[in-house]
Amino acid sequence: MATHPAECADDPPGGIVIQRTPIDTATLLAAVADVAAGGNVLFVGTARGVTDGVITKSLAYEAHEPLARKTLEALRLQALARFSLTACGIVHRLGPVAAGEASVAIAASAPHRREAFAAAEWLMERIKADVPIWKSEERDDGGRVWVHPVATARPGGAA
Amino acid sequence: MHDNLPVPDIATLRIAVFAGMAEIAGRRHIELPWDGGTVADARRLVRAAYPALTALLDRSAFAVGSRYVGDDAAIVVGDDVAMIPPVSGG
Repeated sequence: MATHPAECADDPPGGIVIQRTPIDTATLLAAVADVAAGGNVLFVGTARGVTDGVITKSLAYEAHEPLARKTLEALRLQALARFSLTACGIVHRLGPVAAGEASVAIAASAPHRREAFAAAEWLMERIKADVPIWKSEERDDGGRVWVHPVATARPGGAA
Repeated sequence: MHDNLPVPDIATLRIAVFAGMAEIAGRRHIELPWDGGTVADARRLVRAAYPALTALLDRSAFAVGSRYVGDDAAIVVGDDVAMIPPVSGG
């Protein structure tokens, strides 16, 4: 797998990948496997084909890539510490993503399942709030719309 | 004006815009005349130059380089500035 080079030698497996090619979830899951990990959670977010009754043919993602990478790296490190993970990997896809294909995948491994489940969910919530990546939906009627959810806080949290 | 006086450089601040903001602005970068100031000052100038961006601008963060910054952060010409509207990754 094309993992990002670890910043330090003892960085746990996984890492951050932002790519324009399909996500290989099996490889991601294998990357976080460890004999010390009894719980390995793989979350896969896929491009939804129907939203509020409207058909979506495909999604297209764009990002502020340097800031997205840095934010994902920070979130991953927070998750490793907060949930005592043995490994964590996050892959996000950019560009067009057909309905049904994976747009994001998170793998979290911990000695016990509870922490691995919690970490994957926490990371997804943070990604959806703070990582500068946007999707546009290509509707079945040919229309295309950017998604900017009405949030209570601006991206970036406290900044 | 004296002929020998140098013409002052008109400093320009370049701001990257994304997604729905880029669609509304019709471009991926906007340029503002800039003689220094903060993110709050940049917000005022963007609002004046691109009123159609106001709704998203009010819900956007600013980034300089690869970090989010608050409204009181200083911006100088040459900074890599971006407006970050509400995100929808995942």
